[in-house]
Amino acid sequence: METINLTHKFSGAENALNLVNLRVVEGSIYGFLGPNGAGKTTTLKLILGLLKKQHGDIHVFGKRFEDNRVETLRRIGSMIEGPSIYGHLTAAENLEILRKVYRCPGGRIREVLELVGLSRTGGKRASQFSLGMKQRLGIALALLHSPSLLILDEPTNGLDPNGILEMRGLLQSLNQNRGVTILISSHQLPEIERLVTHVGIINRGNLLFQGTLAELLSKRRQNSFVAFETSDDAQTELLVRGMGFSPRVESGRVMIPALERERVADINRTLVRGGMEVYQIGRVESDLEKIFFDVIGE
Amino acid sequence: MTFVSSFQSEWLKRRRSLASWLVLTGAFFTPTIILASRIKNHAALPALYVTEDFWRKLWNQSWESMEVFLLPVGIILATGLLAQIEYRNDTWKQVHTTPRGFTTIYLSKLLVVLLMLVEVFALFNVGVYLSAVIPSALFGGVPYPTAPIPFASFWAANVNFFVDCLPIVALQYLLSLRFKNFLVPVGAGFAVWFLGVGMLSWEYSYLFPYNHGAVNFLTATGHFAGRKLPARVEHLALIYSAAFAFAGWVLYVTKREKG
Repeated sequence: METINLTHKFSGAENALNLVNLRVVEGSIYGFLGPNGAGKTTTLKLILGLLKKQHGDIHVFGKRFEDNRVETLRRIGSMIEGPSIYGHLTAAENLEILRKVYRCPGGRIREVLELVGLSRTGGKRASQFSLGMKQRLGIALALLHSPSLLILDEPTNGLDPNGILEMRGLLQSLNQNRGVTILISSHQLPEIERLVTHVGIINRGNLLFQGTLAELLSKRRQNSFVAFETSDDAQTELLVRGMGFSPRVESGRVMIPALERERVADINRTLVRGGMEVYQIGRVESDLEKIFFDVIGE
Repeated sequence: MTFVSSFQSEWLKRRRSLASWLVLTGAFFTPTIILASRIKNHAALPALYVTEDFWRKLWNQSWESMEVFLLPVGIILATGLLAQIEYRNDTWKQVHTTPRGFTTIYLSKLLVVLLMLVEVFALFNVGVYLSAVIPSALFGGVPYPTAPIPFASFWAANVNFFVDCLPIVALQYLLSLRFKNFLVPVGAGFAVWFLGVGMLSWEYSYLFPYNHGAVNFLTATGHFAGRKLPARVEHLALIYSAAFAFAGWVLYVTKREKG
């Protein structure tokens, strides 16, 4: 799936998307990251045809989306801005609505309900489900017709830590065992970094980074620090600077740009010999927002 | 085949919805009132049940409130409620990411509204029949109506009244799809309907799209003495409904944001 110079503007506002060239490789799990309001949902809505395209192009499964909308949608499962669920109906009835359209076998409903752990909800109406259950039903709806491409917008919203783990396992299994390509958006890098193979980072409508997870992690390592908490910050800074490093004091800690672990041990020895009491040594990695700022130079 | 699957999918959504309850309530409301009134005044029924125009009187009595009041109000509310199933559950985005053409979706949903209207008509006819026969089953002195049921004229009236409703269905459908806020289509519908009721005595009131049913019924029952309709109201209703349905389709298909 790829977008070519995708640009979108809502009336009276600046560009919500600006020449976005997203490229999701077949068989990958693509993490689409960005803070709230960055343009993630707008991009996904354009890809699915929920917003009228203004500028640029979208290709899915090698064909132009506009020219093959119905055929393309037949192979896509999606959940955008939370699950789309009819509250007055049960989980099975919600799935039956889509089963009619996709013309899947009847047994498929039980399969996906078991897959997301909702097989025992029986006659309970979806409006009475917890947020996590609704989210899982949303995933079941997206998976019902065994899509080749799964597009999920913040699918872990509302899930407890255990639910997030289960979701991660489910998506990994779909990707590895059934070859489903997954495009998943999130505003939290730690939440999806153990899941994705590729990453795209968007902010204010601009795609700031796109590449493999390894490339992003390397960038993050370049922006990480080792923090020393000692009995005397000023003296520690002086000693470290004397070793040829460029430290800075921040929040009662002396921060040194990313080091190999042997160098950390050297610094520790020097500090102890210099009469410092070393209370704590730790790695401080840049968060997603900081990487954004580094990338866009703010 | 796609259209049939699409319609089946849309039809499932009305299960346990407010709109489906409204169909039941609306269809049986007038017959229930008539039945209650007959049970209360059952002493006068034996004479009534042997009259030759028994069915015609019951028919007119039942349809009067239906044509002028219940049917337009019911259509306005039910059409709005059906569209609200998608708005309230935030499911338009799912509807529009299913592999269906926008025209298929538009027509499937419209067919659901129309079939619910057929449901109302069918249940109403059953209700009218039951309001006639239940008193004779309950009270020993009340016979089964001796006059034959004029099936042909009742069928023709049903068809005419159904066609008369179509402009209301089409315009309310257009408004309900267009506006997320339930109050907009319902408020606009009520305003237009009130306007229509206010102009009923005007000689050209048959031109007003929300008046066809009422004008047709009131003319046929002699409420507008001496007034003749220059055109068949049903033809006007079909023209209006086609125009509204087409306009609704254009607005729906060209909507910039679909979820």
